[in-house]
Amino acid sequence: MLKDIRRNRVDVVIIVCVLIFAASSLLAVFSATFATESVIWNSTFSRQVLWIIMGLFIGAIITFIPPAWIASSAYKLYIILIILLFLTYFMGSGVGSRRWLSILGLNIQVSEFMKPVLVVVLARFLAKDYRTPDRPDVLFAVSMLVFLPFILVLQQPDLGTSLVYLVVLLPVFYWRGLSPFVIFVLCSPMITFFASFNFWTFFIVILLISAILYLSRRGRVFFTVVFLFNIAIGIIAPIAWNSLHVYQKQRILTFLGLSSDPQGVGYQIIQSKVAIGSGGLFGKGVLQGTQTQLRFLPAQHTDFIFSVIAEELGFIGAILLLAVFMIFLVRGIYIASTTKDQFTGLLTIGLVTVFAFQIVVNIGMTVGIMPVTGIPLPFISYGGSSMLTCMIMAGLIANTSLHRYKLY
Amino acid sequence: MIVDQKKYAFYALITLAFLALTLQLANLQIFERRKYLRHSQRNRIRSIIVQPKRGTIFDRNGVVLVENMPSYSVSAIPYESAKDDSLFYHIAGILRQDVHEIQNKIQSARGPFTPIKLARDVEFSALIRIEEQKLDFPGILFDVEPKRHYPAGVRAPHLFGYIGEISQSELRIKGNDGLQKGDIIGKKGLEKIYDRTLRGKAGYAYHEVDALGRVVRDLDIGEESHPVSGNDLYLALDGKLQKQAEEMFDQKNGGVVLLDVRNGGVLVDCSKPDYDPFIFSGTLEMDAWRELINDPDKPLYDRMIQSTFPPGSTFKLVLATAALQNKAVNLTEKTVCNGYVRLGNRIFNCWKKDGHGAVDFMEAIKRSCNVYFYRLMPRVGVDAWAAYAQDFGFGKVTGIDLANESSGNQPNREYLDQIYGKNGWSTGMLYNMAIGQGDVLVTPLQMAQLAMIIANKGRYYQPHVLDRTYNAESKRTIPFQPVGKSTELVSEEAYDVIRKAMLSVVNEEGGTGRASWLRDVLVAGKTGTAQNPHGESHAWFIGFAPFDKPQVAVCVFVENGGGGGAVAAPLAGEMLKAYFRQKDTLTAAL
Repeated sequence: MLKDIRRNRVDVVIIVCVLIFAASSLLAVFSATFATESVIWNSTFSRQVLWIIMGLFIGAIITFIPPAWIASSAYKLYIILIILLFLTYFMGSGVGSRRWLSILGLNIQVSEFMKPVLVVVLARFLAKDYRTPDRPDVLFAVSMLVFLPFILVLQQPDLGTSLVYLVVLLPVFYWRGLSPFVIFVLCSPMITFFASFNFWTFFIVILLISAILYLSRRGRVFFTVVFLFNIAIGIIAPIAWNSLHVYQKQRILTFLGLSSDPQGVGYQIIQSKVAIGSGGLFGKGVLQGTQTQLRFLPAQHTDFIFSVIAEELGFIGAILLLAVFMIFLVRGIYIASTTKDQFTGLLTIGLVTVFAFQIVVNIGMTVGIMPVTGIPLPFISYGGSSMLTCMIMAGLIANTSLHRYKLY
Repeated sequence: MIVDQKKYAFYALITLAFLALTLQLANLQIFERRKYLRHSQRNRIRSIIVQPKRGTIFDRNGVVLVENMPSYSVSAIPYESAKDDSLFYHIAGILRQDVHEIQNKIQSARGPFTPIKLARDVEFSALIRIEEQKLDFPGILFDVEPKRHYPAGVRAPHLFGYIGEISQSELRIKGNDGLQKGDIIGKKGLEKIYDRTLRGKAGYAYHEVDALGRVVRDLDIGEESHPVSGNDLYLALDGKLQKQAEEMFDQKNGGVVLLDVRNGGVLVDCSKPDYDPFIFSGTLEMDAWRELINDPDKPLYDRMIQSTFPPGSTFKLVLATAALQNKAVNLTEKTVCNGYVRLGNRIFNCWKKDGHGAVDFMEAIKRSCNVYFYRLMPRVGVDAWAAYAQDFGFGKVTGIDLANESSGNQPNREYLDQIYGKNGWSTGMLYNMAIGQGDVLVTPLQMAQLAMIIANKGRYYQPHVLDRTYNAESKRTIPFQPVGKSTELVSEEAYDVIRKAMLSVVNEEGGTGRASWLRDVLVAGKTGTAQNPHGESHAWFIGFAPFDKPQVAVCVFVENGGGGGAVAAPLAGEMLKAYFRQKDTLTAAL
């Protein structure tokens, strides 16, 4: 016990990582907007400075809040954000989509703030001992908690962010003790989804799923429910696909190599790869990246900010940033594994999942191995909502690290 | 320990994902670096063709006749502007074009980042509207292109011609190798004939461009080449006289050619009706074009060199010379003109119904007696007559430096046999041809050339519009080398007689060309009134001045104008007067 009390302090690794991210973000945003705004102290850059300072401040506050407060305010915050998402649906703004809600003159992307709140809600819900994840009613309730914001954000449309919500589910379940078999059952609709566009692949996949279900010997009712659900997915999927926006379909198709689109999304990926590739081992130097400075890079201060870093700082710079991200995530998992408390453990693992998913998908997108989904790079991309959300989430992880050996 | 197991599952997953990212990064940045580096360089460096300045056209005194003025063209970068369809409707409205046309143009672009021209010679007001709404028009650019304008107010469209975008077929012509789609070349007139002189050579510049294709800065990578400006043309033309001629012939069909007999330079070449060459310098409205080609007066044709007409009595000079040289005529011998000649059952009239009475050779030319020349024709014979006509340059082009010159028609025995059959043609036909009617067809330029030949007593020059070219860079002037020629059949004595006869036409009582008489300068000439089946007679006057040391030869032609003496001669006199007055003021100024 003595040993534990000694360790009970804010995790320095997390703090240092966040500070490194903040510095990298300032450098990258400065470089990415240098050519556009021409004035050295440009407004985009100065806004980002403001977001970072605000974020660090908020993160610091959150670090020291008693975890019990966080848990107790979870549902209230969730309901407030759901209402705000509804409001965004009716009075939101944005180019070709409705993502921003204007509150007190500030344009807020509610879906960003939903990320930590959703994780907190899930952790809070599953933290109760009797809510074991193998209970169908628990599974259903949790799925509903996720589906509501998922649907609201998907129709904005913001496929990327809504996927983040979805992705949190499984790791959190797994951490709560869900068996890998059930995870397979939960994943099966996704497989069915992709298989459903061709009758024969659909047929084979359904056969395979049925076989595994049968061999698991979980009873007739279970078999029937899962089987019918998969069938339903197979029927609904093509219809859902057709209701997707053209550009969303295009993005997915382009990524899958099914559509040649030299001027659209494919163009973004090509320009990003050219920027990164031409950076080489050591990079072209800050403000020297021709792709960046001549703005061949699409959304270079937001979604494609990693390309800016990779072009100007090269492989070395990119790998260093990746390493810090890796340390941050691994540290987060470590913190989750050391906390004695179910709630903070689930909370931290959920947050790490959000970070990991966004980092991998965003960087994967810039290097051309993931589809273009419009997910920002945590801590680095320009944007107030994104930056504040990341800082809140980092604050929550730091909070766990501070309280992990304390039972309350 | 269960927690540990789960922790490692997470570690493994994250390590795997980051490994994939690292491998792909290494792949891009280390193994494929060269490829992407090349890509990025091509991405940002664009070679741009820098159009040369097209040469200016001056008159003989250095007055600017044709020069460049800026016009604005609007282009679109397909990648930027194709995102939003409503933009096309907007732009189409401003440019007053069809939306589909604009979309087609954008689709025909070479690449998404290559600007494609949407409209040339855009009105300034449209430009302002585009500039004002710049933010709503992503990828829409405009640039400045030269177009031709005519500051001196000299129209001379048949001389200057016009320029335009090179066509597919013109691209294949040899000598156009360096050109490409969208380039501007001379299409007609001097612009076409001297296109390669005027055109200059395009240069290449390398610009660093951003993703919108906007030039960020010029690159100095040592591979660029500067455009070479075209040479300037200095014409033999006298802009002031040309303008005066154009005013003189306003509302008339016809024109005037004024040649410098000392070198063949074309001082004036005015053909009316004409058109304003400025309408060709921008985008030609379809309606204006249709109107031009459908106009029954054919304003697109240069009547002075492209159209042929019967020369009428001016052509008597040919028969007169032939008769003199062949000794077929006795200068003192008189022929009585009763106003007509009977040939078989046909009657050939003199233009003077009551007849001229007894006329000798000189008198016959002075008073332009038809009967005298009817009778002279059989004595000279068709072969001699045709030979002399050919010696004077009829039946072939003069070789002037303008396109589509007509050679006219000079009948000879071969021609008559061929057209009418060996015995199908009669003396009556010869009678008609003797007075410049029938199958004889000439261009006014050929008639001016005849005047030049007689003025110089056989020595003459190929008429030319260009006087010299000037290279602004090397400051070198290259004079046009006039091609000297001379008649082979006619002796100086014969010319003396003809010249004296022409002098009397203008200066003696009873001469048909009295209206061209000038107080200070001795003018010699010959009138013509060419009957034609299409209406009123064509009025002709050819002449030269001053008589003793000729400087200029003139040919005035008024289509369906009436009598040569009454209509053409005064115009010629006015033209000559203008020439000599201007010359006086010039020498006075010097």
